[in-house]
Amino acid sequence: MTLSAGEVAALPGVRNQGRGPGRPDRKRRTIAGDPRVWLYTIPVVLVFLFVFIGPLVYTVWTALHETTYYEIGEFSGLNSFVALFSDPSLPAQIGTTLVFSLGALVVALPAGLISAIVLNDLHRFKRTVRSLFLLPWLMSQAIAGTIWLWFLNPNYGPASYITTSLGWGPTDAFSSPTTALIAVTLITAWWSYPQAMLLFLGALQTIPEELRESLRMDGGGIWRGFVSITLPYLRNTIVSVVVVLLMLYVQMVTIILVTTRGGPLGATETLSMRVFNQTFVEFDLSGASATAILLFAVNTVLTLAAIRFRRKEAL
Amino acid sequence: MITKRWKIALGSVAAATLLLTACAPTDDSGGGGGDASADSGPVTLTYWDFLDPSQDNPRANALRENIAAFEEANPDISIDLSVVSLGDMISRLPQAAAAGQAPDVFKMFTPQVPQMAAAGAYTPLPEAALEVDDWLRPADTLAGPDGAQVAVPYEYRTCALYYNQKILDEIGATAPTTYDEVVDVATKAAAAEYTGFGTGFSDTDNSAIIATFFDCFMSQVGQDIWNEDGDVDYAGKKADEFGDFLADLRDANALGASVVSDSYSTVTDGLANGTVAMAVLGTERIVTFGTTNPDLKWTDLPAASTGDQNGATFGWTMGIGAGSKKVDAAWKFIEYMTGADAAEGLASGGEVPTRASSYDLPFFSTPDADVVNSIAEYVASNSEPHAYEDNWIAVATGLSQAGQALYLNGLSGSEFITAAQDAANK
Repeated sequence: MTLSAGEVAALPGVRNQGRGPGRPDRKRRTIAGDPRVWLYTIPVVLVFLFVFIGPLVYTVWTALHETTYYEIGEFSGLNSFVALFSDPSLPAQIGTTLVFSLGALVVALPAGLISAIVLNDLHRFKRTVRSLFLLPWLMSQAIAGTIWLWFLNPNYGPASYITTSLGWGPTDAFSSPTTALIAVTLITAWWSYPQAMLLFLGALQTIPEELRESLRMDGGGIWRGFVSITLPYLRNTIVSVVVVLLMLYVQMVTIILVTTRGGPLGATETLSMRVFNQTFVEFDLSGASATAILLFAVNTVLTLAAIRFRRKEAL
Repeated sequence: MITKRWKIALGSVAAATLLLTACAPTDDSGGGGGDASADSGPVTLTYWDFLDPSQDNPRANALRENIAAFEEANPDISIDLSVVSLGDMISRLPQAAAAGQAPDVFKMFTPQVPQMAAAGAYTPLPEAALEVDDWLRPADTLAGPDGAQVAVPYEYRTCALYYNQKILDEIGATAPTTYDEVVDVATKAAAAEYTGFGTGFSDTDNSAIIATFFDCFMSQVGQDIWNEDGDVDYAGKKADEFGDFLADLRDANALGASVVSDSYSTVTDGLANGTVAMAVLGTERIVTFGTTNPDLKWTDLPAASTGDQNGATFGWTMGIGAGSKKVDAAWKFIEYMTGADAAEGLASGGEVPTRASSYDLPFFSTPDADVVNSIAEYVASNSEPHAYEDNWIAVATGLSQAGQALYLNGLSGSEFITAAQDAANK
């Protein structure tokens, strides 16, 4: 039986390049004129404009004007930025931001990975252990900071009682610039590692079990399995976790505010704390806006640097 | 598939609509509900206070009872109380005022009144308020940048020296009467493994303890904190005495080991549990300490080199929030809370009523009022109010930062004073 051209074109699955008779290409019709595309796009764009572009523009606007408390005054040009970059404490604050962010990352990333591996391989009491691992993430930053503030209290804290009993004297984590920075870094890492754990746990469950079985049959051990199978599969997830955590740490205010408020001697004053202090203590809205823009730039640079390590091809 | 896409699209539109609605301008009736156009008819006053009336302590109980009594006496006025800490109030009030959402009435600590006035947080007091003339101490210092009075005193306090009698007996010392004697006694207490003198350089509580002590000390030595231009300008020989006192305590290891991060509550806790030998705090703690630790006594401030023992008069104030449309009702509430009707409740909480007429009440002739009467006499005879500029927060923060440097970096007394002044003027 011989079919006509039209009958061939009408057959299901037959592609038509649009040069002959028959129905137009379905994909081209969707892209060219489907009004539903706008229905899906406009709300998202509106929200993006409202919660990101709008505040960003307003922040830049505020930074370019004089402010008195929360009133915006005359145009002042780049005065706020000049004051920002000529502030002798700025390099130290940038340094503190980097030390704090990278320090917390160095702790939270492996802690999250190890926790995820343990949970992934656990067969008994999995839910209980998972709940315990998640506990820090379930409390707010303010509560987490307050708990540690009192745990490490040199006069009444349990930590001080333990160290005194061991003959080491009372703990005094927040009274020294160095120990205060270490303390807030570790507290932040402790509070945030469950987020890394959850992301890694999801990724670990996508690793084909056949690969591990194959490695076991070849005599490969745990370390070989981790290096040759787990890490390659987790590479993109590690990048994602680094990006997420870095953004969290660079913008961290609450834990530092509750524990040290940027002290002692400014040792824990990150750029975010500077923005807070300028806004709510010094009432310098213009200066705070300039600092916030610098913080945004720092965050963007760190994020782009991390994304460069993303694997482009799939395994 | 098409149905799922439509659901997603509708959900996105709904979310965007909700977001835009939530951010729409709200009614700018200036805080509180009720009749927004006038004080006639039932009104609800929004009131910010740092005390939590749900707690069971003398001051909270007194606040709760006084508010209830006011509402009973004024059935057309109800009070919508929000508990806001001082730190939150300082940061939220200017924002609320700028957004037209300031509370109708709020409490504010005396040194911060001018700064909040400059931030536009107040409505000037009505004429009826300015006609009150029986304040125990002058109230015209509670003014804004234009000189208009914006607040009235709710309670009075000044600085006193607290000491633990049991510790002093243990080390064979008596209550010091000069700052040099304080250093000597503190040194002995430190040798006996107590904190010789309790203070703190933390700014987590707006530098409350060091700033209050500094305020009183400057009054003692007759040193103005600001110059005529409003700049912080106190560095000099008189202020150096304060720095030298702290440096001497540091050198004697008489400060707390965690003084850098200690706050007002750290020191009060230390006094209450008997680990701190002495401290300079406000008189508002006298009644509380009497209950928690009978070993704690109080006395006049040590004499400075000038021989003066008179500190600064300060305390909590009440004012009307910016944009309030219920000014008459707000003043009615403030007048009640600062007047004779609420004085007995206030006194039972350990706070000193601020109007002379209050002390005509029978309660103040009873033994129950002995403590409050003695505090009131002490405030009247040992303190003077003074005006503050609109940058007390910077002054207080500068003191904390300089104190941290004094302890950690070994600054001298004069270096501490210079650093504190420079930080305040930054």
